[in-house]
Amino acid sequence: MFEIKPIFNSLLRSKAGAIMLLIQIAITTAIVSNAAFIAKDRIDFLSQESGYPEEEIFSFVTMTFDKELDIVQKFEETETMLRNVPGVKNAGLFNAVPVSGSGSATGLGLQPASEGGQDVRSAYFMADENALDILGVSLIEGRNFRADEVIVSASRDVFPKVILLTKELGLELFPEGNALGQTVYFGVTPLEIIGITNTMKGPWLKDSRPENVSIIPFVGASMFQHIVVRTEPEQRAAIMRQIEDLMIQDHSKRVIIGLQGMDERKKDQSSSDILMLRMLIVLIIVLVMITALGIFGLTVFNINKRTKQIGTRRALGARKSAIVRYFLVENAIICFFGIVLGGIAAILMGQLLLENYSMPALDPVYVLVTTMCVFIASLLSVVMPASKAANISPSIATRSI
Amino acid sequence: MILHYIDLSWRSLKRTPLVSGLMILAIAIGIGITMTSLSVYHMMSMDPIPNKSSQLFAVQLNTTDDGNNWFTPDDVPLQLTYKDAMYLHNTDTPVRKTASIRTGFTVHMNNQEVKPSLSGARAAGKDFFAMFDLDFVYGSAWTLEQEIAAESVLVIDETLNDKLFGGENSVGKQIYLDDAIFTVVGVIKNWDIHVKYYDLNNGSFNDPESIFFPITLWEPMQLMSYGNTNGWKHEGVTTFEGQLQSEMFWVQFWAELPTAKDVQAYRDYLFAYLTEQGTKGRYTREKPEFNLKDVNEWMEYNNVVSEDNKILVGLSFMFLAVCLANILGLLLGKFLRRAPEVGVRRALGANKRQIFLQHIVEVSVLGLLGGLIGIGIAQLGLWGVRVTSSEYTALADMDLSMILAAPTIAIGACIIAGIYPAWLVCKTQPAIYLKTQ
Repeated sequence: MFEIKPIFNSLLRSKAGAIMLLIQIAITTAIVSNAAFIAKDRIDFLSQESGYPEEEIFSFVTMTFDKELDIVQKFEETETMLRNVPGVKNAGLFNAVPVSGSGSATGLGLQPASEGGQDVRSAYFMADENALDILGVSLIEGRNFRADEVIVSASRDVFPKVILLTKELGLELFPEGNALGQTVYFGVTPLEIIGITNTMKGPWLKDSRPENVSIIPFVGASMFQHIVVRTEPEQRAAIMRQIEDLMIQDHSKRVIIGLQGMDERKKDQSSSDILMLRMLIVLIIVLVMITALGIFGLTVFNINKRTKQIGTRRALGARKSAIVRYFLVENAIICFFGIVLGGIAAILMGQLLLENYSMPALDPVYVLVTTMCVFIASLLSVVMPASKAANISPSIATRSI
Repeated sequence: MILHYIDLSWRSLKRTPLVSGLMILAIAIGIGITMTSLSVYHMMSMDPIPNKSSQLFAVQLNTTDDGNNWFTPDDVPLQLTYKDAMYLHNTDTPVRKTASIRTGFTVHMNNQEVKPSLSGARAAGKDFFAMFDLDFVYGSAWTLEQEIAAESVLVIDETLNDKLFGGENSVGKQIYLDDAIFTVVGVIKNWDIHVKYYDLNNGSFNDPESIFFPITLWEPMQLMSYGNTNGWKHEGVTTFEGQLQSEMFWVQFWAELPTAKDVQAYRDYLFAYLTEQGTKGRYTREKPEFNLKDVNEWMEYNNVVSEDNKILVGLSFMFLAVCLANILGLLLGKFLRRAPEVGVRRALGANKRQIFLQHIVEVSVLGLLGGLIGIGIAQLGLWGVRVTSSEYTALADMDLSMILAAPTIAIGACIIAGIYPAWLVCKTQPAIYLKTQ
């Protein structure tokens, strides 16, 4: 009833145009399914939770250039000053800032490093007992640091004896889930796990283990010092504006740099992914549009070429719907071969990306959905010119012969 | 004749505005998207120092134990230990070489007029400037004597000189770095590079440092590296002195080797050095391993062009292919509809070559128009790139070669798409069409 055979035969007689359309549909299917898959991968990456109340936190670096200063003592005063600023919930010194792209990592071992053995990668923050409150991270098990467990020192001669871990790190170290109370080694120093925290990301979102994070109660005030501040969310912008003046007032031989909110910092770190995502989305939209336009153009051309033929058919009694159907079926045949070829190309391309680049394996669902969408889009772009063709009057055919 | 063909194509273009417009739009968008990703790729992968890129070599020594893994493709660490780097820095071969480390200081004039600010600084050897073709506006590099004596001298760039001294000749004047007094010996022109190829540790597209000072000051000043420091075994380092003697990697090293003979000589030298270090029992490794990579190899090795970018370039060329298939289909229709006209021309004496040429000229005109509009679309795309990512601000730009490439690619692509339809139409048998008239 769809007259597939005669349509197919007539297609075979003017192959070139149909083949071009087929190639176009095939490449479009291959690109769109892979691009959509990569885009989804990036959306997942960009929408991940860091585990922090990002819009309440900001951080900056204080560069001190006064070598005579008792820097440990001075920073104690600075912390107190910052905590007393109206709107500030808490503030403290950190060795590194979460989701900032720069920090420290080590291998935490079950034996001292000098004895070798396995270790587990962990990013670590060094801060005092306020760390959890500043970062807005909650404990699941165990307890926070006591003030007397925090080592405040400019050198690393004395090292703390306790450590806090995220639940992810705890599970990797102790797969049975009994990390609390156990001992891990930081180099050769034994540290007792006194608390397990909720998920939080380390400095690097693209780390092999972004959620393996630990906190060590150590404040090593240095000339180049990160300070993290948590505020009331609506007052953060105002406090950030006055922070430089406050810090210079507190001590004049200082430079403040890198002042930035945590959400901004996270965005900066993933800017190349945002860029990739946007480029891919533009590519997909424009590509589908171009292909649809191509199908549209080719159908218009075919109809012009076959005006007489259509008129004759109409004169011989074909209904308007039969004319529309002819073009729809013709397009569907081309499109079918196109998407089959495109589907295969998409899977091959996905494999190529998997082998040569660090892209995850293409999910076949994306290929399936894309082929469906391309099929529908191609039929839609035929409908308009085809219904116009159906309006061709039979008299045209008879007149010009 | 060509002019006549161009005139004909213009008329043909006006006669079928919809189809022609569609074709031009397809080319323009295809070129626009392709040029956007290609421009960024071009800026990233461009040779930063074309006249010397094959003479400058990054040196890597593998002083880890056999079987130790590293995050490089061949397991050789990217940087050197301080002791190796300084040893190579202080030997006589080759003529020019330099160890260097990135650090930073608070720069101030010890007065109220200039607000203290943080500035990136690089500890390097005196050869650094000559090696990387840095031109001096005032003064010159420090001397070997000054370097050996670890004098507090420095070279600054024009931007910092403008800021601190209002652009005057500042040679001999003094600057405070943290609390130490330094004397300016030279001012270099701003180092205009897109890729920080000489130090790819912390972001390939960061700005070069504004301050350079003798690396021999590192020890007495007890400075701290701003770059990556990577250890590979437990050493229990707690002191500054301990770090200098450690097996950790944190110093970059470049050598200038102008001829193949120099390269071979230096290879032999490094081989001998590593063999000697190996026999001292510093590490367990059967065969000494080291790399000498020139600037372009080094950028490739460090993956300066991101995977994303390569994928985007690939995707956009496939996109261009779709646009071409699109145009080819439309051209087929357009040209074949003109068969009667061509039949008459053939009957009047035009030969196949002329008909073919006429149609190729017509598609070239389409390509040119599409390419020109494509430049506009690419500029729009690059603007989008700059807005999205601060890292790409300097990279998302079209230089002259890219602006010329746009219409070239467009015309080339259109000619490829036009060959088949033009060939079909020039095969037209005049007799058939003359009969129906």
